[in-house]
Amino acid sequence: MTDQDKKGFVPGLLKGMGTTARAMTRHAHTQEYPDVSPQLPPRSRGVIALEESNCTSCMLCARECPDWCIYIDSHKETVPPTTEGGRERKENVLDRFAIDFSLCMYCGICIEVCPFDALFWSPEFEYAETDIRDLLHEKDRLGQWMATVPAPPALDQGAPVDQPEPTESAPSEPQPAQAPDEDPAP
Amino acid sequence: MTTRELTVGVGAGELATADMVLNIGPQHPATHGVLRLRVTLDGERISRAEPIVGYMHRGAEKLFEVRDYRQIMVLANRHDWLSAFSSEVGLALTVERMLGMEVPVRATWTRTLLSELNRVLNHLMFLGSYPLELGAITPIFYSFREREELQTVMEEISGGRMHYMFNRVGGLREDIPAGWLQRVQAAIDGVRARMPELESLLVGNEILQARTRGVGVLTAEAVASYGVSGPIARASGLDVDLRRDQPYLAYDELFAPGGPGRVVTRQAGDCLARLEVLLEQTHVGLDLAQACVERLLAMPAGPVNLKLPKVLKVPEGSDYVATENPLGFNGYYLVSRGDKTPWRLALRSASFNNVAVLAELLPGNLLADMVAILGSMFFVVGDIDK
Repeated sequence: MTDQDKKGFVPGLLKGMGTTARAMTRHAHTQEYPDVSPQLPPRSRGVIALEESNCTSCMLCARECPDWCIYIDSHKETVPPTTEGGRERKENVLDRFAIDFSLCMYCGICIEVCPFDALFWSPEFEYAETDIRDLLHEKDRLGQWMATVPAPPALDQGAPVDQPEPTESAPSEPQPAQAPDEDPAP
Repeated sequence: MTTRELTVGVGAGELATADMVLNIGPQHPATHGVLRLRVTLDGERISRAEPIVGYMHRGAEKLFEVRDYRQIMVLANRHDWLSAFSSEVGLALTVERMLGMEVPVRATWTRTLLSELNRVLNHLMFLGSYPLELGAITPIFYSFREREELQTVMEEISGGRMHYMFNRVGGLREDIPAGWLQRVQAAIDGVRARMPELESLLVGNEILQARTRGVGVLTAEAVASYGVSGPIARASGLDVDLRRDQPYLAYDELFAPGGPGRVVTRQAGDCLARLEVLLEQTHVGLDLAQACVERLLAMPAGPVNLKLPKVLKVPEGSDYVATENPLGFNGYYLVSRGDKTPWRLALRSASFNNVAVLAELLPGNLLADMVAILGSMFFVVGDIDK
């Protein structure tokens, strides 16, 4: 401590203040969030959207969920034969699909295991609630998020070519968001 | 036996002669997280200290046993939320080694890159929060600005800012987005260019030096007997780094002679030495990340993951894989009985051993130095309690 006493704390203080003063002349790096919305990458895990027509209620997502926060109810319906003499078919009809976002750990396993492309990540994050029960999103609410699902990003040139290239026109892809207010008019 | 102890908080009597037992935590502004310290004071001097852990115990090891190997990743990246990627990698490596799986080269280098970025993120957090505990408010803004730059590129590839969930058994979840490597390069360059500012606020500062130099000297013997690892052990002169000594991922190449990897050590063992190790490791981490970017840019096209069977079962047996996490050794001991869930998955986390040494380190120090020492042990409470 003695050599410090001799030198004193003044140089350190001045140097620190110098750094702060230099930082003061620069533009602020922060964004004023409610006024300026953040630009999130397409892979950003904000909320899970459901494309209900793709769901066959196979229950894979509900089973693979690490904390079991997906609730699915379905029943079987008999579809009459489409051609004369054909046999009638049974198909699953989704009654309820709900994700409890108060339990969800945002791991994305459900989206990854879905074999029918019914679940997607959306970067939307503004769905905080004052009541925890409102975080249980039923299928209509999950369906509304579909409009915000962005197209997946193009891949690096090092990616193997046999993988399906993400293109906006691919039939199984969701409609990309129309980039509503990402680029405010100058 | 003859000394009387007095617990404060109730009616306090003859303070002058009695030893005082002081509870720091579990909810206390001097601790980060819910670590509780039971400190016995003789005046202003600490005569005994006992870290009491478990307030954040979530039973992660037990939860591992009822989840398959994909679901375990979710828990593995949550015990130490500042080293999420490194913890994921450790688990993936354990399972892959038991399966005898050969991971694609491109996946290995991308994993190495992300691990190093994660290390820099972790160190920047402590480089900001440690001065905060000493009373310097400014550095955290500088370090968080750099964290933000790196978190942006991490979010772009993985979709997450803290819990990446980007590892899979057999590689990575998704391929690299186009142009991402260039953005990583830009982020690394930016952080590197601004690091001197943060540095001058930290190690160049006389006030910080006065608070930390010669304070809380951890001897190499204590390091060895308590199993302390990581930057704290290296600050006491222990030249151990699993990236060099037991290479995994692509580290054997990076730590080869002439490579960018080097092990940072200090001899002093005090709080300042620990901070210096952290600071220099940040630079090394950036160098390693840069080398990975260059390597990935020059690499021929290839996959980043392997196709897995629908039900992944690990063959019967056991294995232990340790990795050098930002805070120290992180090991997974996996015992499988051939099921799709582990029979037992034990976790050796760095912070648990690193705070255990506090019982030896704190006695003899002044109470005012306790915060300086506690902060310099660089722990995450989730990593202690698991």
